Amino acid sequence: MRSRMPPHYYLSPEIFEREQRKIFRTVWLFAGLKTLLPKHNAFLTRKIAGIPVVIQNFNGELRAFENVCLHRSALIQAAPVGCRPLVCPYHAWRYNARGEAENIPDCDALYQFDVQERQGLKLREFALRTVGNVLFINLAPTPLPFEEQFSPEFIALLESSSNAYDTEVMVTTWHGKFNWKIAYENLRDANHPRFVHPKSLAKTVSFIPRVNTAQATASLLDLQDTSPSDLRREMRSFSFGGADAPIPDLQHFGWHQMVERWGNDDAYYNWLAFPNLHIASANGGFSFTLEHHIPIAPDRTNLEIYWFTARKKQPYAFSSQVLLAQMHGSKLVVGEDVEVMERVQAALHENAPIPTQGAYESMNRTIERWYAALMENDHEI
Amino acid sequence: MKSRWVMGGGDYLDLAFLAWKQARPDEAVSRIEVSQFADYAFDLSALDALNPAEGAMFVAFDERFGNFKRMELMQAALERGFKLEPFIHPSAVVDTSAVIGLNVFVGAHAIVGHGCRIDYNTVLHAGTHVGPNSRIKASCWIENGVQLGSRVEIGGHCIVRMGASVRAGVKVGKSCELGWPRQYGEQVPAKTTFDPRYDAPIYVYES
Repeated sequence: MRSRMPPHYYLSPEIFEREQRKIFRTVWLFAGLKTLLPKHNAFLTRKIAGIPVVIQNFNGELRAFENVCLHRSALIQAAPVGCRPLVCPYHAWRYNARGEAENIPDCDALYQFDVQERQGLKLREFALRTVGNVLFINLAPTPLPFEEQFSPEFIALLESSSNAYDTEVMVTTWHGKFNWKIAYENLRDANHPRFVHPKSLAKTVSFIPRVNTAQATASLLDLQDTSPSDLRREMRSFSFGGADAPIPDLQHFGWHQMVERWGNDDAYYNWLAFPNLHIASANGGFSFTLEHHIPIAPDRTNLEIYWFTARKKQPYAFSSQVLLAQMHGSKLVVGEDVEVMERVQAALHENAPIPTQGAYESMNRTIERWYAALMENDHEI
Repeated sequence: MKSRWVMGGGDYLDLAFLAWKQARPDEAVSRIEVSQFADYAFDLSALDALNPAEGAMFVAFDERFGNFKRMELMQAALERGFKLEPFIHPSAVVDTSAVIGLNVFVGAHAIVGHGCRIDYNTVLHAGTHVGPNSRIKASCWIENGVQLGSRVEIGGHCIVRMGASVRAGVKVGKSCELGWPRQYGEQVPAKTTFDPRYDAPIYVYES
């Protein structure tokens, strides 16, 4: 069967802007890890859907603001992760937990704002939601309810697993030359590991692609209901998680004894949070990797890769080397994915053949049906 | 004749063994290869046949796992009562005021300036230049030709790769890897990795 995804969905700047507006500035997105914000004034910054955002701890309360000073538009916090008050380094405007410009040096003498203008100086605030140790942000003025995007089962499992995350976090960013959607089509494709990762991941984990007949049949039909609530309900099924494949002979290492394992199953865990968050545990809950795919352009995606173990029982000297060894493992396995995804992107052109999908790809077809409805019509979520 | 056991694995074992053998013709220098099990633990049975009173040991294992595996071997040797000494190549120029720790390797034509301190288990490969009053903490791995300015501090378990240089006065935190061939002119936070296979540095944040 033919895919619903024509090549321009992966090439067009206009489609890119449309999905930024209709998806990324509308739905809940991964924003960061709560484990990086443990104390007063701890902050993290990032650009989400093109908007610079700061998430800051104010006496234990986490708040998200646009990270742009209201005076001269400088970034208020510059480091990716740090601990300092929310003060712009340019002219020292200081903001409080409500985003108000609480202190402006020499305000009366130099700026001479009237009362109304002075009181209106407030940073744009964004909705923030914490699930265990995972933070989600919503950039919309009126965010859709979080529970309409993610099912209760998904939220519960993410909360349980992420509460096990350790506070030592390794992170880096890769610059991929592929459209962000290709990454998730690949992640939802259980048939690729034996071909793309025969000497790495597929050697230890038994991924078995299956056909969901009911879903495959349903995915052939056009989307009938396209009201915002219908589209949200449909979207809820795009995020799922749990044990994905058994690990028949899980190899144990000395550091496994140093952490509080999450769960007891020798399984490969996957969590896919639509649209652009993937979390996995490739060793049955001893450690986790979190991959955040950030669309930069139609053919450019930044891939932020995080690694952390389950919570340490006590600090140990070589803990960062445990993370680095696993990061290098990602470099191998995800690097194999990136290589094939960049080849797929490189082959695309306006008149490229429409992909042919099989029955086992019904989840991709279901999501693509929803995506095409959103892109081709005035429908909103 | 005094025994000199050079123990470890890989290319660095060969390098250290030959260096000791050429530098100490008066000693019985032997090469002891230690294997690893599937979980990377060392098989230390080769040590059981040795009498620590009959000689001294040098541990030669490369930088893998942030130099912690070499550290592990060194600890195993110390626990068994083996004496450890540094190796300084005859062609190296080490200022008399420099302090060199146990099991340090200083390769051919390396230069260590006045007032330097090189802590135990650190490896300075051939041609390394360490500027005056610098400190390289324990279990580091500094590759061939690396240039460190004066007053540089390199934290424990760091790796500095070929092609890197560190500007005078710069402090590099523990467990860093400076693998991008360039000059490092600013402080490097602990546990930061610059690996040429990656597009950006690898950072560690912890609370």
